[in-house]
Amino acid sequence: MSTADKTTTKSNGSSEAPWLLVTRREVVSRITDKSFLLGTVFMVVLIAGFIGFTAWQEERTDKVTLGATPDSVAMATVIEESAPDVDDSVEVSVVELDDETAAEAALLDDEVDAWLHPVEGGWELTSESSEQDSLTDVVSTVVRQQVLTDNAAGVGSTVQELEAGSDVSTAFLRGDAERAAVAEVVGFVFVFLFYFAALVFGMQLASSVIEEKQSRIVEIIAAAIPLRHLLAGKVLGNTALAVIQLLVYLVVGLVGISFTSYKSYLPALSGPTAWFIGFFLAGFVALACLWAVAGSLASRTEDLQATSTPLTMLMLAMFFGGLSLDGRGQVIASFIPPVSAVVMPKRILAGGVEWWEPLVALGLLAAFAAVTVWVGEKLYRRALLQTGGRVTLRQAWSAAE
Amino acid sequence: MLEIRELTRRFGDNTAVDHVSFEVPAGQMTGFVGANGAGKTTTMRMVMGVLGINEGEVLWQGSPITRLDRRTFGYMPEERGLYPKQPILDQLVYVAQLKGMGRVEARAQVQELLERFGLGGRTKDHLEKLSLGNQQRVQIIASVLPKPVALILDEPFSGLDPIAVDSMVDLLREYTRDGIPVLFSSHQLDLVERLCDRLVVLANGRRVAAGTVTELRDAGVPRFRLVLGGDAGWVRDQSGLDVLDLDGTTALVEVRDDGAEQQLIAEATRRGSVHEFVRVRPALSEIYREATA
Repeated sequence: MSTADKTTTKSNGSSEAPWLLVTRREVVSRITDKSFLLGTVFMVVLIAGFIGFTAWQEERTDKVTLGATPDSVAMATVIEESAPDVDDSVEVSVVELDDETAAEAALLDDEVDAWLHPVEGGWELTSESSEQDSLTDVVSTVVRQQVLTDNAAGVGSTVQELEAGSDVSTAFLRGDAERAAVAEVVGFVFVFLFYFAALVFGMQLASSVIEEKQSRIVEIIAAAIPLRHLLAGKVLGNTALAVIQLLVYLVVGLVGISFTSYKSYLPALSGPTAWFIGFFLAGFVALACLWAVAGSLASRTEDLQATSTPLTMLMLAMFFGGLSLDGRGQVIASFIPPVSAVVMPKRILAGGVEWWEPLVALGLLAAFAAVTVWVGEKLYRRALLQTGGRVTLRQAWSAAE
Repeated sequence: MLEIRELTRRFGDNTAVDHVSFEVPAGQMTGFVGANGAGKTTTMRMVMGVLGINEGEVLWQGSPITRLDRRTFGYMPEERGLYPKQPILDQLVYVAQLKGMGRVEARAQVQELLERFGLGGRTKDHLEKLSLGNQQRVQIIASVLPKPVALILDEPFSGLDPIAVDSMVDLLREYTRDGIPVLFSSHQLDLVERLCDRLVVLANGRRVAAGTVTELRDAGVPRFRLVLGGDAGWVRDQSGLDVLDLDGTTALVEVRDDGAEQQLIAEATRRGSVHEFVRVRPALSEIYREATA
């Protein structure tokens, strides 16, 4: 349709649909706006940087030096040998020291990261001031193993015999622990992205409505095209921008993940991500109309704070609801628009959702969007041309056109 | 021709425009005057369909006006403004496209108008970077896009420097020459008197006077000024006249009975020499003051 439109425009100068013109202006004026571009680039850098840091953190091997006095050299050597079996990101090298004084001096000079020595009833790992987390884990595991082995031998038994039957393993009916953790993190990202986009683009939409109202260009526009087209164009334009930005972030995020050890989860993430985009679209359109109303109720930019308060509250409720709800509450919320826009994608991520559940939730959300578009259009049209101070919802609803 | 018939608009209990009727004939400039809050802007907004009409109707070429008709009108709202942060060429093309022009055609016309107003070299500048006078020029261009069939301008001259006023006047004259009806509101009565073929005076939402400038000045009780060779004191004794002012040899009279002025001039020539006998027409500002009082 659009190509056909373009050709006719070029050949005989006939006009395009008004809503399409408005949409184009919204997109073009925003996309050529430096602050918008910089913001997007900044976010992309942030996402890429975060993923890069995580990957580096994961790949990196921690090289630590363990100081050993003559009484602990034997134990330290065992630790050096068995460290890779305990934690493959830790590499231990042993430095032999003459006595306690030499050990303390070496610690203070940063020649060794820690000094292992026997004390009464056990062993002590001394470090300068900060705890050596990965080293401590390795040392205590190996020491425990070694001491257990010795003690077991002393009573004529083996470690295996002593430990028999003491294993506690974990099992999940749905998914597994790591998947649940990944789902939790990605779910947070979904909720955050929705909140962020709805707030940023919503505010932008509302202030562009005020800009038009305040400058009265809206009167020129209203005399030329039906206001319904103006609203449709603005909502569509901002929705397109929000979805494009979201896709950029998601692509950067998913491509980034493919370079990390989490890449095995990518196939499992693609389905929920597709659902998320669908829910984002319906949820965003529903809220965008309300943002436009918030803008039309204000007469000046200063009024926006007041007219948009109910909406900002709603966004916060969605944000925290999306993050904190679980169990039955989460299941119920996943069907209630507009909260369902963030809660259902989270549930899909966590798994265990029946195939019909997202469809029903999306249908309800789309129906809700249809209602807000209908109500929003009426309020917007009636409030937009009223000047002189803030317009209340009641005034807007009952106003004659 | 644009006809406004019994147009009425209420805001709550306040009737802003009360059964106002007038015409804006083709090819004529009609000035719309009245104090602040008289209802000029409300009337113009109703004509443009930006505000709903409670009663009455607007006719264009004899039939009720439609949205498509209005799309071909040029309109300049009272508190004007376009997009401050958009290049002027882009936003004028946008406005022209909203009014139904094709992109290519719109660009050509906008470019031509910008050249004409001396803004040809600043097409890529953001509106807010222009001086106030130049912003006003851009606003004017926005209202005459695309070639309008009628012009409804709310205070088009406010804030313009004399040179900009002249180029605006030239532009408006060009449109009336092409047979386009122009309705504009203004507080500058001298300008209205100089420009307008017709005048509509509004006070408290009602039309208190309407007609051509000559009609309005000729309406009301005729006044004459008489300058004699000798003292004019005897004029007080003439019947059928009210003496408004008497100063030595000069008298200003208002004719109460038809023909009384003929008796006055006959008596004056009988008594001595007459230096001047002339009909005095009130200035527009006087008519305006009286009508809105």
